[in-house]
Amino acid sequence: MSSHPVVIDEPGKRVLLMGNEAIVRGAVEAGVDVATAYPGTPSSEIGATFARIAEATGLYFEWSANEKVAFEVAYGASMCNQRSMVAMKHVGLNVALDVLNPVSLRGVKAGLVFISTDDPSQHSSRTEQDNRWLAKQNCVPVLEPSSPQEAKDLTRVGFELSERLGLPVMLRTVTRLSHMRSDVSLGPIEESGREVGFDWEGFSYRVAGFEKLFRRHKERHEKLDRAQAEFEDFEYNELKLKGGERLGIIGVGFSYNYVIDALRKAGLGDDVAYLKLITPHPLPERLVSKLLTSVDRVLVVEEVDPFVELHVKALAKDIAPGLEVMGRMSGHLPREGELSPMLLDGALAGILGTSSETEDRTDLEEESSKLLFDRMLTLCAGCPHRASLYALKKAVQAVKGDLMGVVVNGDIGCYGLAHAPPLNFEDTYFCMGASIGVSQGMAKVGVDTIAWIGDGTFFHAGIPGLINAVVNNTPIKVVVADNEIIAMTGFQPTPQTGRTAMGKPTKRIMIEDIARAAGVEHVEVVDPNDLEAAEAAFRRMLEAEGVAMVIARRLCATEALRAMRPDKPVPYLVDADACTGCKICQNQFGCPALVWDDEAGRARVDSTLCTGCGACVQVCPVGAIRISEVA
Amino acid sequence: MNAFRLVISGVGGQGTLLASRLLAQSAIEAGLPVKIGETYGMAQRGGPVMGHIQIGEGVDSPQMRPAEADALLGFELGEAVRRGITYLRRGGLALVNTRKLPPVEVISGMVEYPSQDSLLSLLKKVTEEVVAFDATALAEEAGDPITTNVVILGALTASGMLPFGEETVVNVLRESLRPAYFEMNRRAFELGKEGYVKALGN
Repeated sequence: MSSHPVVIDEPGKRVLLMGNEAIVRGAVEAGVDVATAYPGTPSSEIGATFARIAEATGLYFEWSANEKVAFEVAYGASMCNQRSMVAMKHVGLNVALDVLNPVSLRGVKAGLVFISTDDPSQHSSRTEQDNRWLAKQNCVPVLEPSSPQEAKDLTRVGFELSERLGLPVMLRTVTRLSHMRSDVSLGPIEESGREVGFDWEGFSYRVAGFEKLFRRHKERHEKLDRAQAEFEDFEYNELKLKGGERLGIIGVGFSYNYVIDALRKAGLGDDVAYLKLITPHPLPERLVSKLLTSVDRVLVVEEVDPFVELHVKALAKDIAPGLEVMGRMSGHLPREGELSPMLLDGALAGILGTSSETEDRTDLEEESSKLLFDRMLTLCAGCPHRASLYALKKAVQAVKGDLMGVVVNGDIGCYGLAHAPPLNFEDTYFCMGASIGVSQGMAKVGVDTIAWIGDGTFFHAGIPGLINAVVNNTPIKVVVADNEIIAMTGFQPTPQTGRTAMGKPTKRIMIEDIARAAGVEHVEVVDPNDLEAAEAAFRRMLEAEGVAMVIARRLCATEALRAMRPDKPVPYLVDADACTGCKICQNQFGCPALVWDDEAGRARVDSTLCTGCGACVQVCPVGAIRISEVA
Repeated sequence: MNAFRLVISGVGGQGTLLASRLLAQSAIEAGLPVKIGETYGMAQRGGPVMGHIQIGEGVDSPQMRPAEADALLGFELGEAVRRGITYLRRGGLALVNTRKLPPVEVISGMVEYPSQDSLLSLLKKVTEEVVAFDATALAEEAGDPITTNVVILGALTASGMLPFGEETVVNVLRESLRPAYFEMNRRAFELGKEGYVKALGN
């Protein structure tokens, strides 16, 4: 295999890179020393790429326990003069926010760039929060690239900027950028080679003195002023203004693509002034003012919130009072959700009173949605969570007499699909670890619950909640859906895996040991694919007094298939003579490998999907499913 | 020259992402700029996957507008129609794998999978150029259903629509795939080309 394009040392070569990979390339070009991350879509490929290349390039990478720890590790390295990067999805910054504040207040030594991958329209998130507000709250400069090329270039620039200013720098992407691929022209790779040493004068109470280090709000503001001054002449911000234009458009970061495509399609490239704005915070007010004072109307185009728009309105009040400011606040663009080329075409047409020429296909789309299923998400063929849920439902039915006898509080991960048919056994999920927390409030007021949490999520944010339950005598019932990997985001290791991000063996930290150390007396580990044993364990858990936990442990089916390559599993089959066509295996269990043969009126196993787990054998009431002969 | 625009649709695990990357790499080898926009939020869990590939100058956004695609690579019957009716331009080429991957709502008996005729008739409201064949069967003939993506690449190459030649695609296949898998994929590519010609005749 040829080496990963992220590490090729051929300046000027054009390679195909995903936005997230381009960020890693930028960090490599900047000679980054330490990188950390916690996985989460759409950021995960950043860490996955670091994991692949770390050893070859001599940098250090880890998947940290959570985003806060990841940020702290990166900061520690920065204080010792080593360039560091930390990557996370937008909601990960909520977890790391507690440390971002002191980092920006105290400042950094070597460059520290952190990546926030925001997710407009919530393609794979529970919110479309705009993290530029969090950067503003913490006086952090923000770079918003518009393409993979800029994602690479600005990552490199971000390190230099961070060092010059003494502030952490946020590089903000959106899903469309993180996941797009395009040709990227490589730059030279800088040697790391910065001398390692703790910056005593910069960070030590003992050496620099407590008072000098403690109250720094004024210094932080001064740094931000310097950032603003740099952004006034920042080469990546582009103002196209020839004079006499009536309309101006500000395209922020990735949204700039929609602006330029819409102008091109409408043939308006020469008649409209525009500013490509890569630095939404701090806003280069002089640069923006040049546009605002030259036009009658300005449209601000950005993902997701009217972050720049609000600032532009405030600025216009003083320097261009008659200016009409349009965007997401004025209703010219939708207030929430991701933008698109179509939305920009429509907004431009509305503003200019022209018509958009794109053919409308909504009638055909309606016809299609009447004819065609939605293709709902489901757990994979052979997924052990399916077996766990099937057994858990049987146990709840037996103990409570009613499936509605418990509130099932789920958590973040593949197993969150417990709410999907045909299993339909989940009521809530909120944020990492919340299943264990909210279950306690319910239990305290007499509502029975099950906390349904994955192994990765348990390590990330479940442990304090578990300790809280034990110490406050709140008898919650916890099922850990332990598939021995962080499957949802691309099979990253958990602390239980026994292997680091860089592939080195390490100590395995077992969930049952943590639970027992936290004072949980009823802890069982069971293989969910043994449905009878799993159901019995769940029953004992439900009937136990005090906090009780069952760890349903079996390796993720997809990871198991990956691990056995190039071998393939031996599939199961349905004996068509024995099958009665009752459909229990489909209507109640619902493994995608069990398909319905219309002609025969019988279930059939799709041998290309079957993972050979055999759980369905126990579901069939007449014993019609068995393993196929081994060739 | 206008950019060549292509939509790829399928289901997670079908190798659509690899197909996109092979095409994009071919574009780079041919000296052309390329952009791929991908939508695959939770694709690994059986969800729909879609890729927009735009090859050539004058493209900034990786997402297309409706009715802009010159060609559709439909890896799965239902998903091909879902995306084709939105993105394929009038008279564009639809390459459709007729193999069905029933979603969970079909498997669990909530709805039925629509007939191939009803689905293709809907697609034909956008274009008459519908080339439908069982690409998965050809992949199985080549040695593994996983090569369905390369069968479809072969069919696209045979259509002559790509802004670069067959040898560019084959070279990228050779350089990008593990040597142990190249011969099988080469067979799949050839079967895809033949499949296209045969399906045209039908």
